[in-house]
Amino acid sequence: MDRIRAEINNDRRAFIKKVLNGTIAGSLLLVIPAGASEVAEQLSGMRAEQSIFTKKRFAFIVDVTRCIGCGSCCVADKLEYNVPDGNYRTWVERYIIDDEDNVYVDSPDGGLGGYVEPRKDIPHPVRDTFFVPKLCNMCKKPSCVQVCPVGATFQTEDGFVLIDKERCVGCGYCIQACPYSVRFLNPETKTADKCTWCYHRVRKGLLPACVNVCPVGARKFGDLDDHESEVYKILHLPHVVSVLKPGMGNKPALHYVGLRREVV
Amino acid sequence: MGDNHNTHVKWVVGFLTMAAILGLIVKKVLVPEGFGTYGHYRAGAILDEFNRETRHMTNDSCLSCHPFIKEMHLEGIHRTVSCEFCHGPYGDHIRNGKKVATLPVKKGEEITALCLRCHNQIIRARPKESIKMITMPDHLENKKVQTDHNCDQCHNVHAPLMYVKQAREMMHMSSREDK
Ligand code: HEC
Ligand code: HEC
Ligand code: HEC
Ligand code: HEC
Repeated sequence: MDRIRAEINNDRRAFIKKVLNGTIAGSLLLVIPAGASEVAEQLSGMRAEQSIFTKKRFAFIVDVTRCIGCGSCCVADKLEYNVPDGNYRTWVERYIIDDEDNVYVDSPDGGLGGYVEPRKDIPHPVRDTFFVPKLCNMCKKPSCVQVCPVGATFQTEDGFVLIDKERCVGCGYCIQACPYSVRFLNPETKTADKCTWCYHRVRKGLLPACVNVCPVGARKFGDLDDHESEVYKILHLPHVVSVLKPGMGNKPALHYVGLRREVV
Repeated sequence: MGDNHNTHVKWVVGFLTMAAILGLIVKKVLVPEGFGTYGHYRAGAILDEFNRETRHMTNDSCLSCHPFIKEMHLEGIHRTVSCEFCHGPYGDHIRNGKKVATLPVKKGEEITALCLRCHNQIIRARPKESIKMITMPDHLENKKVQTDHNCDQCHNVHAPLMYVKQAREMMHMSSREDK
């Protein structure tokens, strides 16, 4: 381990090259840096995974019936990634449905400051109101990957759709192509940006930042091949589970519990 | 005539060779290392994402250095609320296992604003199964205190029912039924 770490520090490029060419035994790629391992592992077995792609099937579940719209997730996300103001990798929408079936949706500053004021512009009595957190749907058939002209956005074999900041030319095709509008042009890097389900944390055995900070368990993340995981149990026991815009055929890995049909 | 034809062929062959060489150079320059190793993308991009700094840790990560708060927080009803949401990320406080900077600590009205972000009844979209809510200023008026009282004057921020329970115990000595 120490030798490998020293090697990374000495000559990262050469090291990466060797790893990519598979010359280091077992094609070891992902070496967990010191620090992360001081904290107990939250996703069991992740720290032992050193190959480039895990064999896991990750799923993210948002439970709309629990969300209180506090925006803890939005705050954590902004601070984890230093997201420039006015852009959101994850956000929380407030839905209000009146008894005439009109639907009102708002999301002031993406929910970053929480919801402190009720909406006063609803003309009829409210029938139903709830919060819907949004983030990357991690489609199994991602349209963003298909349209990228330079191979800057891609899907790993374990299902993460990621962006290569070095390759991205900021053309914005992927931003247009995403049916869920989760992508934005980062004004600092001038490249496309979006939620990664905290790939860097997950690979180090930690839950995504938003999942960790949610006080009511409205966000869940785990491995569908682990039959003890909460996500497995939710998806395999009778629950009202659905995905957003199933008709688009993108096959999202992000699932919602208790989603009303008014939500788009 | 034949001579002319030959020169043409030479031109065409020469042109194609040049184009091929140019193409190779362009490819070398434009296609980065590791492109195509796993698919139509640069393999090193996965490593770049992996190496991103982890700024948040977990509630557990705070506890070893804050044993007094640990005791309250773990036993209190706020045990599911994130330390880092109320205080800021680990990465702004600790580096290589040592404290490198202070985290902001809220006071007075800031605390009330923080509590109401989660507990304000006026926001009707909150499911009652998730959280108990209060109406302001009724909550304070019911308790017969002035409405400029801040929440932490009666609720310990790290274990909000601690004082309430203690007070009840003092009032009727035993409160086993509501523990
Ligand atoms: C609901 C929000 C909230 C949560 C959750 C929370 N804190 Fe606090 N914390 C506060 C507030 C507000 C204060 C300042 C007022 C007080 O001490 O009563 C404070 C004070 C502190 C202080 C003392 C600062 C000082 O100088 O007096 C420390 C240390 C601390 N918190 C650590 C933690 C740790 C560790 C956790 C997680 C186990 C945690 N807090 C969770 C809101 C919170
Ligand atoms: C390596 C030990 C260590 C860890 C881990 C640690 N702290 Fe601290 N923290 C300290 C020390 C030392 C102080 C200053 C003395 C004190 O107030 O106890 C401090 C102070 C604080 C304060 C008061 C304001 C300040 O910065 O002086 C807060 C709030 C706080 N810590 C929150 C946290 C939270 C939240 C976490 C977890 C994300 C955490 N701490 C993790 C060592 C630590
Ligand atoms: C990030 C959201 C959040 C913030 C901020 C927050 N709370 Fe809470 N609080 C919760 C949740 C969630 C629960 C319920 C936990 C449970 O039932 O397991 C709770 C429980 C409580 C309870 C107990 C209710 C009961 O069950 O009887 C009280 C009292 C309380 N909080 C007061 C406060 C005060 C005072 C503050 C400000 C210092 C505060 N809360 C800040 C999320 C929050
Ligand atoms: C004067 C003391 C006092 C102040 C100030 C106070 N509370 Fe309370 N609160 C209580 C007591 C006592 C209870 C126990 C249940 C009851 O009697 O209502 C309580 C209960 C609660 C509950 C649980 C309600 C339920 O349905 O069980 C919440 C949530 C709460 N308080 C939040 C807050 C918030 C947020 C603030 C600041 C805006 C605050 N409190 C300020 C004394 C106070």
